[in-house]
Amino acid sequence: MNSQIKKGILDLCVLALLEKGDSYGYDLAGSLARKVEVADGTVYPILRKLASEGVVSTYLQESQNGPPRKYYHLTDSGRKKLDSERDEWIKFCGEVNAILERGETGGKADE
Amino acid sequence: MNKTEYLNRLSNELGHMPYGDVKDIIQSIEEHFDEGLGEGRSEEEIAESLGDPKELAMEFKDGVKFNQIMKKRKRLKDYTGPDGRGRIFVIVFNAFVGIELWLVLLAAIVAAFMFLAGDAGIIGVIVASMILGKITEFLVPFIFLVLTLICVAVFLVVLLFLGIKYYIKGLKSYIRWNKNVWNYGLGED
Repeated sequence: MNSQIKKGILDLCVLALLEKGDSYGYDLAGSLARKVEVADGTVYPILRKLASEGVVSTYLQESQNGPPRKYYHLTDSGRKKLDSERDEWIKFCGEVNAILERGETGGKADE
Repeated sequence: MNKTEYLNRLSNELGHMPYGDVKDIIQSIEEHFDEGLGEGRSEEEIAESLGDPKELAMEFKDGVKFNQIMKKRKRLKDYTGPDGRGRIFVIVFNAFVGIELWLVLLAAIVAAFMFLAGDAGIIGVIVASMILGKITEFLVPFIFLVLTLICVAVFLVVLLFLGIKYYIKGLKSYIRWNKNVWNYGLGED
């Protein structure tokens, strides 16, 4: 898939992953890379950007083995952003799909 | 590529980012390695799945650029019209401090020019007198005097060159600052 299109929507995907609950970088990287064809590293610049926008917050939490983990939490403004952009995206996808799928038959219907 | 190599390459590629940001980024990627190692994966395997460090660095840098654009956009969005206090400040500041300061500096430059002209004039007179043979006594002291005056002239030329250069530069940024305060008011970062 075109990397520009992918880049734009990945922010939203990360927000959606955090909607299910707080998580840390490695876990999010795995969840994202399992579902979308991206490198594991991709999630980190996105998390950084989201944190500086204030749509996610971070905190450190002890892990059972090893050093504390940096957890990411969806803030209220993040939730708002997710809700509005998710609807927008789904609507947009529907419109695009309608064009792409009916590309051939649509032409005939006009005749 | 092992963990150390990967982190080194990443921090090299991050280049001009502030030290604190680079440290923060490296820390998060290091954490990623440690988590992976804890799961029994090899350093090479983790590095491979993280993706090209150059590309990753670029994504981090794009994020920074994005933030700067957002900040600027926010500033423009929050802009509600000219700030009256900013305008008053610009007028008062220029009336009592700004314009005077730039005029004094300009006067200094003009004075240095006149001083240089006078210096060159004296050199010219002495050298002409020597050539015409008017000076018969104290020849050596006069030669020293001319050499000293030439040194002063060279010094003044350099000083003027730098002075004018920075005067223009300073004036430009001063005007830019005034425009900013005029349009957006004080207290902008």
